[in-house]
Amino acid sequence: MDGDGALLFLLAGPASATGLYWALYRYYRNTDKSHAFERETAVDAKPVTGADADAKVSEVTGTRATRIAGDNVSAYRTRVERIRATAQQDS
Amino acid sequence: MSNANTPPPPTGPGSPRDVPPLAGSFPIDPGTLPKAIRDEVLAPDPVAIDTSAAELEDGLNRCPKCGATDIRHKPGGDLLVCVYCRNEWQGVRVEEEFGLGAGLDELTGTIIASGAVDIDDGAASLMSFKCSGCGAEVTVNTESQMTARCHWCRHVFGVNEQVANGAVPDAVLPFHIKKDDAVARIRQFVDKRRLFALKEFKKQFTPENVVAVYLPYMIVDGRVSADVAGRGEIETARYTRGTGNNKTTYYDADVYQVERHVDFTVDDLTLESSGERGELDTKANTNNIINTILPFDTKNAVKWNASYLTGVTSEKRDRDVEDLRPRLEDQLLSIARAQVESSVRQYGRGVRWEQERLDVHGTRWVSMYLPVWLYSYHQPGGKKGMLHYIAVNGRTGETMGSVPVQQWKLLLTALTVGTFVEGIALWMVGFW
Repeated sequence: MDGDGALLFLLAGPASATGLYWALYRYYRNTDKSHAFERETAVDAKPVTGADADAKVSEVTGTRATRIAGDNVSAYRTRVERIRATAQQDS
Repeated sequence: MSNANTPPPPTGPGSPRDVPPLAGSFPIDPGTLPKAIRDEVLAPDPVAIDTSAAELEDGLNRCPKCGATDIRHKPGGDLLVCVYCRNEWQGVRVEEEFGLGAGLDELTGTIIASGAVDIDDGAASLMSFKCSGCGAEVTVNTESQMTARCHWCRHVFGVNEQVANGAVPDAVLPFHIKKDDAVARIRQFVDKRRLFALKEFKKQFTPENVVAVYLPYMIVDGRVSADVAGRGEIETARYTRGTGNNKTTYYDADVYQVERHVDFTVDDLTLESSGERGELDTKANTNNIINTILPFDTKNAVKWNASYLTGVTSEKRDRDVEDLRPRLEDQLLSIARAQVESSVRQYGRGVRWEQERLDVHGTRWVSMYLPVWLYSYHQPGGKKGMLHYIAVNGRTGETMGSVPVQQWKLLLTALTVGTFVEGIALWMVGFW
């Protein structure tokens, strides 16, 4: 077995200790829970549009990353740059 | 998309900023855990039930039959009962009375129900009434109570007039879950979390001390459009370089500019309208627990009648519509992002949203008192200690809580398990 593999293997102990600590801590304290309004609110949405305008802009080659950098497709609550209309109001 | 400016730092709804995990999920496969822990994790949760109100009729603060004022809410339903003649009757559902369920598609501007109007700073919490029975002065402290009894002639007063101090909402959702039921649910919830619970907490655990509280919320309907833009990647090739143990996988991908637009309406989004309760900071409080037991079946709320609150404490609303608007927009953007997720599935390497825009076409705000059974335990330590809540939804029975942990016990267990796993790892490395 090479050095990297063995090192990874030896991390199993600390990793499982940390994992178990956090899993149990959250199970007792429920600090990760909140109202899942994305799933639990009655939302009536029209079909999503814009898919036909998707355009290829560049390519990446030879990356080791398995996902796009900054992937936030499921992190609904992470806010990104907010574009505001010039005169945004209830209209 | 133009006129970009930096968004204000996120506030409100998810100070737990992460999308919460699915109910009942546990990050580690319980099958791999020691039996004692596994048993706790796998024990059943208190059942949350669906409720639907029966047809409702009119309600007044005086008994419609005999005119007595000693009226109480009959536990387990929406009925009011006259203590004097045992007459029972129901309140009007606001959904139909105010037309709250209709017209979402044409919602325009900001519609604010009369109970949700801005709070006047000068309006006092203490309100005096002249008893119509005997002429005596009776005072009601609307900070925590909405009814009082005249000490002289035993008449009961309810604050029904919508004064500008935020105490009187548009509607109230009466308790359906009775105290015995709430106690059983809290007990069941805590029984699942005893192994590593704080010793003092277990010693002092008396779920019978649970209190019924009406908490103030704003129920918001909205009609909005949202736009999001970002980059998505589709994998085009995957190859491995190197030999033997030095193999590395590389990926090629096409990058796309992705934009999506969605129009949607939301029905009965529920926001805390008390500043303190809306502060979800898991480091300083456990208000996220009360937030988690949402949603309520707000469709069944009945027109305000202070008699529903007899013998029950209440908290006063202290936030106006404009105070809550940033939090509403934050939640609407989150919903928009959840809505567009399914339309970008073809981007197998994920999407990085970089810009988002929200156009709110119309909103409708109704203030409501929602029923919560609250058990609390104060854990000393630090500056103020930590107030742990266990909350039961007074309608659906959904139960959530924060049980303080015995840190040394939890650490010791984690270290023991870690050492055990490490032992196996060492043994396997030795054998390699």
